[in-house]
Amino acid sequence: MAIVNLKKRQIECKIVYYGPARCGKTTNLEYIHKAFKKQVKGEMVSINTDGDRTLFFDFLPLELGKLMGCDVRVQLYTVPGQVRYASTRKLVLRGADGLIFVADSLEVRREKNMLALRDLQQNLKEYNVSIFEVPLVMQFNKRDLSDDNISLMPLEKMQHDLNRQLNVPAIPGSALKGGGVGKTLNACLKLVLKALQKELNLGG
Amino acid sequence: MAGSVAFAGNLNFLNLGELLQLLGTTSGTGTVRISSAYASQPSHIYIDKGNPINAANGSKTGLDALFSLFGWIDGQFEFIQEDVTCEKVINKSRMEIILDGLRLLDEGQVEQIGPGKSEAQPQDAVSKSGSLPLVKGPLVDYSYVVDEEGFYDGDEIVHEGNHGNWIWVILEGVAEINKETSKGNLKLLRIGDGAFLGSVAALLKGDNVRSATVTANGNVQLGMLDAQLMTSELANCSVEYRDFVSSLDERLKRATTMAADIYSEKKNLRDLIKGKKTLIKQGQDENRLFRIRSGEACIARETDVGTVPIANLQEGDFFGHIPFLDMGQEPYSASVLASNDLKLSAMDPKALQAEHEKLSSTLQNILAHLATCISITTLVATDYFKKSYSKATK
Repeated sequence: MAIVNLKKRQIECKIVYYGPARCGKTTNLEYIHKAFKKQVKGEMVSINTDGDRTLFFDFLPLELGKLMGCDVRVQLYTVPGQVRYASTRKLVLRGADGLIFVADSLEVRREKNMLALRDLQQNLKEYNVSIFEVPLVMQFNKRDLSDDNISLMPLEKMQHDLNRQLNVPAIPGSALKGGGVGKTLNACLKLVLKALQKELNLGG
Repeated sequence: MAGSVAFAGNLNFLNLGELLQLLGTTSGTGTVRISSAYASQPSHIYIDKGNPINAANGSKTGLDALFSLFGWIDGQFEFIQEDVTCEKVINKSRMEIILDGLRLLDEGQVEQIGPGKSEAQPQDAVSKSGSLPLVKGPLVDYSYVVDEEGFYDGDEIVHEGNHGNWIWVILEGVAEINKETSKGNLKLLRIGDGAFLGSVAALLKGDNVRSATVTANGNVQLGMLDAQLMTSELANCSVEYRDFVSSLDERLKRATTMAADIYSEKKNLRDLIKGKKTLIKQGQDENRLFRIRSGEACIARETDVGTVPIANLQEGDFFGHIPFLDMGQEPYSASVLASNDLKLSAMDPKALQAEHEKLSSTLQNILAHLATCISITTLVATDYFKKSYSKATK
């Protein structure tokens, strides 16, 4: 549910990074903030939440052009997964136009990924959003760690674990070095824009 | 300069985080005043171009005060648009304040002030006093407003009998809805901020005759709603739901006509009820919803002076219990009387409800407003019936 701001002639939409703790959501956002400096509007807000950090900043994806004569402005968020952060999660997830699920490729985190995905589905359901309908992209993060002889799950296995039913775009990533970060965001932006066009009845 | 209240509401609907976001996107300048039954005095947040610059809550000021307000789960807020002269002591960005405030609340570092469980009573739309109640709507979703129009006191906004499809929402001010009868003008409703004007059936049929006259009472600012957007939204609904919506719209028109007939003391009104058998008794526990395949039915309210007909239904109309709207009629507040040849089919209220909940908030609000208008028109009609009855018995 994007907000059309007639005063500023902007369409504001919201993309939320979700995933298990320490999977690299924050690293994704930090990389974007650093690498796409020109498109970042305002400072990055960082709130220390237990076990994780909640990040937020505004982003102007220049390559998207205008929609109904309005600039598209994207708010990027990460969200704390812990149960106790209900109010924060509610504010962040409510009205999210697109989601990026960051999964951890480490073999030892396999179960954590699946639990987090199920949590996401539950949380979305509380706001009457179906995980099958919301624009969603996955990122299989930390692929670079295979160089360090750390055992990772093969992509096919992750695809099978997490994306068999959803069948959404899935992109391998190594957020620390920026691999796949831009690609993931762009894939999500594309889906969001498509959904927006449909919603605004522009025929997409 | 004394500012005016630009918008107001309840924190249990729009919490402080959402409120600050909203004021941020509109770059508002002014004061947010929050009062709660659980706090001895109201508190204030000062906003400059969408950013909080200072706050006061009891003895607390600045950021401390602002954070403490995240604990106010229940309370009334109003945003007064005015110049803010106080010192800027809060320098954190808006989003940082919101996210940090909610974190403190979640971590239990901010004291929660409010009822344990939200027990907000839905406000009774109808006041018990004799004067016409003012019907207001919820917050306006500006993404549906395509144009604004201003009217001055006494201006006619819509004339009864004219053709017109536009649907407006009142952004500011009060309008009166009147209907011509053989006994003169009948005042039906007074509507205020957030209320809608126009017929939702116009979106379905494409043509519409105005069923009443609407006049500005004081200056009124209207927002024209995006009919195309709403039409396409309704076009995506099932036939059953669309039929339900047009029947609901028709219900208001029928109730309005009946109110006018009762007001003008038209004879033969009792004929409508005569010979019909009671299908649903007022107050009866009835969870089903029906659609008339053939025959006629009459919605009637039982009062201490007899049975008052309030709407006559025909083929294609529905009656029964609607789980998602309150029309103030059957089954709790009116009976359904049926002709002998009445044939019915059952409708699936759950399927309708699921479709209803998928609609945009604007359309949902329009339908809720429609139901409220039906409810008040019913009351107006019943009142006039009682008046003419007491006149007749004198």
